[in-house]
Amino acid sequence: MGLPTHGGLWSNTNNVKLCAFLTILAASASAADNPEAREFFENRVRPVFVKNCLPCHSETRMGGLDMSSREGLLKGGQIGTSLVPGKPEESVLIQAVTHQHERLRMPAGQPRLSDRQIADLSSWVKDGAYWPESAAAVANKAKQYVITPEQRNFWSLVPVKKPAIPAVKNTAWAQGDLDRLLLARMEAKNIVPAPAADRRTLLRRAYYDLIGLPPTAAQIDAFTNDRSPAAFSKVVDQLLASKQYGERWGRYWLDLARYSDDKLEAEVEAPYENAFRYRDWVIDAVNTDLPYNQFLKAQIAGDLMGDKQKYAAGLGIFALRPHTQDDRVDVTGRVFLGLTTGCAQCHDHKFDPIPATDYYALLGIFESTKDSEVPLAGDAAVKGWKAQKKLVDQQKIVIRDFLQDQATQIARMYALQAARYVTAARSVIVSHQDQRAIAAREKLDEVTFDRWVKYLAKTSKDHPYLKGFLSDQFDAPAFQNRLLAVLKERQDVDDENTLRAALKKRKGPSEDPTALKPESFYLWRDLFFSDFYGKEFKQEDDGLLFYGPNRGYYESDGTVERFFSGEYKEHLARLRQDLKTLEAKLPPQYPFFHTIEDSKNMKLERVRIGGSAANLGEEVPRRFLTVLSDGKPFTQGAGRLELAEAIASPTNPLTARVAVNRIWHHHFGAGIVRTPSDFGFMGDRPSHPEVLDYLAARFVDSGWSAKAIHREIMLSAAYQLSSTKVTANLNTDPDNRLLWRANVRRLDAEALRDSLLAVTGELDLAIGGPAGKFSDPSNKRRSVYGFVSRRKLDGTMSLFDFPNPNITSDKRSVTITPPQQLFLLNGDFAMDRAAKLAKTQDVRQLYRTVFGRLPGESELKLAQEFLVKGNWAQYAQALLNANEFVLIN
Amino acid sequence: MKMTRREALSTVGAGFGMLGVAQAANNQPHFAAKAKHVIYLFLNGGPSQVDTFDPKPLLSKYDGKSIPDEFLKSDKRPKDMQNTRLLGSPWQFKKYGQSGLEVSDLFPKLGGCIDDVCVIRSMHTDLPSHPQAITQMNSGRLIAGYPSMGSWITYGLGTENQNLPGFIALCAGTPHVGPELWSNGFLPSAYQGTYVPMDESDPEKMIQNLTNRKIGRQDQRRQLDLVSALNKLDIEKRGADTNLEGRIAAMETAFSMQVEALDAFDVRKETPAVRERYGIPDHVAESTSKRRSATRDGDFARGCLVAKRLVERGVRVVQVYFGEDIPWDSHHDILVHRDLARQADQPIAALLTDLKESGLLKDTIVVIGGEFGRTPSVETTGRINVQNGRNHNSDGFTYLVAGGGFKGGTAYGATDEFGFAAVENKVHLHDLHATILHQLGLDHKRLTYRYSGRDFRLTDVAGNVVQGVLS
Repeated sequence: MGLPTHGGLWSNTNNVKLCAFLTILAASASAADNPEAREFFENRVRPVFVKNCLPCHSETRMGGLDMSSREGLLKGGQIGTSLVPGKPEESVLIQAVTHQHERLRMPAGQPRLSDRQIADLSSWVKDGAYWPESAAAVANKAKQYVITPEQRNFWSLVPVKKPAIPAVKNTAWAQGDLDRLLLARMEAKNIVPAPAADRRTLLRRAYYDLIGLPPTAAQIDAFTNDRSPAAFSKVVDQLLASKQYGERWGRYWLDLARYSDDKLEAEVEAPYENAFRYRDWVIDAVNTDLPYNQFLKAQIAGDLMGDKQKYAAGLGIFALRPHTQDDRVDVTGRVFLGLTTGCAQCHDHKFDPIPATDYYALLGIFESTKDSEVPLAGDAAVKGWKAQKKLVDQQKIVIRDFLQDQATQIARMYALQAARYVTAARSVIVSHQDQRAIAAREKLDEVTFDRWVKYLAKTSKDHPYLKGFLSDQFDAPAFQNRLLAVLKERQDVDDENTLRAALKKRKGPSEDPTALKPESFYLWRDLFFSDFYGKEFKQEDDGLLFYGPNRGYYESDGTVERFFSGEYKEHLARLRQDLKTLEAKLPPQYPFFHTIEDSKNMKLERVRIGGSAANLGEEVPRRFLTVLSDGKPFTQGAGRLELAEAIASPTNPLTARVAVNRIWHHHFGAGIVRTPSDFGFMGDRPSHPEVLDYLAARFVDSGWSAKAIHREIMLSAAYQLSSTKVTANLNTDPDNRLLWRANVRRLDAEALRDSLLAVTGELDLAIGGPAGKFSDPSNKRRSVYGFVSRRKLDGTMSLFDFPNPNITSDKRSVTITPPQQLFLLNGDFAMDRAAKLAKTQDVRQLYRTVFGRLPGESELKLAQEFLVKGNWAQYAQALLNANEFVLIN
Repeated sequence: MKMTRREALSTVGAGFGMLGVAQAANNQPHFAAKAKHVIYLFLNGGPSQVDTFDPKPLLSKYDGKSIPDEFLKSDKRPKDMQNTRLLGSPWQFKKYGQSGLEVSDLFPKLGGCIDDVCVIRSMHTDLPSHPQAITQMNSGRLIAGYPSMGSWITYGLGTENQNLPGFIALCAGTPHVGPELWSNGFLPSAYQGTYVPMDESDPEKMIQNLTNRKIGRQDQRRQLDLVSALNKLDIEKRGADTNLEGRIAAMETAFSMQVEALDAFDVRKETPAVRERYGIPDHVAESTSKRRSATRDGDFARGCLVAKRLVERGVRVVQVYFGEDIPWDSHHDILVHRDLARQADQPIAALLTDLKESGLLKDTIVVIGGEFGRTPSVETTGRINVQNGRNHNSDGFTYLVAGGGFKGGTAYGATDEFGFAAVENKVHLHDLHATILHQLGLDHKRLTYRYSGRDFRLTDVAGNVVQGVLS
């Protein structure tokens, strides 16, 4: 009852069973009019209900409880009545607000009511819970959506404010204002930062953080030997300027964008050949440090920013959405704003100031768009390709129809000989005569005869027409006539259904399709069925007289073609040759961006009460969120550009905060707000609100430059700490929320695979282009270019916590599991890398390659002991499995 | 190293050995559990209730006719029913066991076990469309992206055998919608179902990276000891850390898992008599059929037998899908059910019998059913082959549940006279989920996970434990 575990985020069905809907309010009264009681109720009880209870316990009836009337309270929720008039101690209402109830602590997720409020409610119940008749309007008042001052003053919704920089005691430690902000918080709790990381560790951390690859031994040496004060700053600049930076940080964005290279479709693989252009656009935008406000505008309205070639590809975030569900409003809210707008689909948001009307205002924008493409080729090329593609498709149909017609004719031919075959088959089955001899004697087609024998030998059939066929009294000619009749029936049914379908298309009076009678059907199925008839089902095998063309455009299994000769054979060959010629002239499809564009007809959405399309409420203009705007309707087209500008506005309190927190999250392994896509009431509170605002302000001032924020963070002393545990700090801040040391992290899926390829020198650093399969052993490209499937995620990537591309993901879960170790112990990928490394046959060299350092004495000794068998590959594999390789600290 | 190996292993104990996730599992029941394991035999495609476990004599009486007016008065009947033609079941129902519950000729062997089965005849869900329905049956939600029941259960209870995954999904081929059905959704990925293909019989082909072809076991042991020694040196340098220690434990588990899984997934380790009882042929036929939604003889049976072996070894949840895509989707001809039932009846009965004999049925909940049932009326729209089949029906269908404290030999709830909709003691799938969790000692309202700003649970905001199906 208390927990906010309610409606699906994207339920777009008539799901009235899950989310409650509009309450029909009935006037209610419990006593004759009583001015004093009325006054008490109006002034002391009703306000408490309206503010604290009705948001959840009126229209949406959380826990089944409707508190908008006395009847509702008496009826109670799933656990029974909430109100026992005269007996506060027995009333769940009072038990819940006093926290005396075994489970309920009301109001949920909010502070306990004041003692006075509780006392008022208790005495109201004690006095009989008087409820004046006119107070049925309680819920009506609640219906008027009001954003309270408390909600407006919520930390994430107030403007970003540059913090005052505090004085710190340890002035030597702090490198800049960021450090001072962090250190002041530590000093307030008597926490001492850990020592700085050694240079090799720091460099490794910086490499993984910015480019997702380990430094080489030479790079480590160069850095270790560079004693200039700007040494680290130079490294950061180099890494930020490298192409690999965009591949690392672009991928984080792709997690949010639930990017995939294919459709979630159950039956077939359905790749999007051009999806990678969105991925490459993201990577390039990150590499060129496209200002973040532009970056996000392009993803909402890239077709409306002038240069389509430059910006429209960003629309892939919506064009490549999972089509099984509409998550566009939810993604917009969570990814760009850190707001769970999806929660307002069925009712006003329970915790954040997002009325349901806001959801439908945004949905209206997307519903006024359609999927589209921006071709990266001239008009002539596009038209030419489409025309040629049509010719190819038509030719395929010609071939298919020819084969189908011939197979049908052949089936009919054998139907006309059925009596001969059945009679001959009887002598095989009954008299055990030699099948081939009979076939030769009776001049029967051997294959067809064999099929008949096998069919007739089966004892049970679903039709009655072969009953008693073993007896020589069986009327074989009559059976043959039945076969011919059933073919006629089939034809009649097909003709009739064609007619009915045509009528239905013209929207005339139409009937459902008709069908063969079951007995006829079973006979027809057993002898004539072909999958041209049953594509929808495919629960049948081909009929025994049907020599299927096997859908072969170029060749078939030969079953039908063995009957072809002369003109027929040549005709088929010509058709196929023509197809080849047509296909030869069909160039690869022109490249294009997956985009969206405004529809011709703009739509205004109506609120779906309880998320139900059957229960429509008010119509809502397309506009931005109430709490972040003046609520004016958008006027340009669907309003996407206006929406984009509202989100990307420097005065939007959320956009910059959310963006810098995401950067922080990936540098420290945890955000300042640990729920990076939820900056609302149910999200985490910032551990360092001043730091967040400091960086958000810096971000906007720098022209929305992510690279500026990386520099700011990485050049701080806080970033450069070691992971050493300072025992004295462990009691005060065991979770390291104050960032007094570095967090140890496991390499994520991409970093692990890329590192394995990097240390063997095999990593292919080619940039961009179509995705390669992870399962292809020759694929040595960076993992960001691997094929991401919504339908079936690569097993190894998902083993190492690659996120589900059906939903937006703001952080990776980090697991350490045995199957991951199996991959490293037994997998071909790991074994192949080890074998490659083993060619070195030099322990010191291996240490430099894998760990970027020389081995210590005990390590050399271990190597010596292990290598007595000369098993270098096993040794190299052990190094790759060692914690030092797989963990960053 | 601060932790002993044993301690480290116990830390890895959540789910299938995992560490370092933000919200660790409860890892113990909320209250005393009646059951420890779940085997979910999923008859994907939607088996017909009126041809199997929900006899409707009136349906035969009015075969080929529209619904008589006297029955149309009920407001529980869909409004557009006037024009539908009823289709009597081609199969006979017989009484079985002490309980005398009626089962059709399609499931004679399962009929023999009916005294151990609770037949829930009043199931209902929200949408009669395959992708949504099959997703909802698994995760409670109509759309992709949410954790499946198996993931929730392993999140709640962890597993008993660290050498095997806690949640395993078995299927020859891929059921409709695919891996999303055993997805962990937003739960940590340690709780995702491990898919193992049942069209293979050799464990090495079933499980990725299970064995090492180049390095023998003793050599691998030496190699592991080396890794261990290197890691110890590393810990001395860096100081203890759960990540470091977790990897060491996981590596050891992986080592033992190679042996355990080779054994557990191998039905060839059973006697020929056992395999025959399940209906597993010695030689797997090369598939020559062009049929799409079908399965080879023995594939589902192998799943049932593997399920038994896994539960014997402490695996928490095993789900066996009947076959590729949606085999039970008999739109145009209900007679297709005959072949499907033949493949399903024998192994299900063998599994129930074996679990009962070994005593495991007491604490194993065996759930049997599809994503919905089928209409009592014949399907006439858009189907041109033969009008002898049934359409999807999510308003009323049957589920079987055996073991784990469910009341055997009982029929619970009822559909209307023809089987269109559940009308009595209705059980929504949320209720079924809640009840299964309840028997496992989990309160479905308390088994929550914080994601995207709120606490989620398997049963959304619904679900009531159905006491009437429990003994």
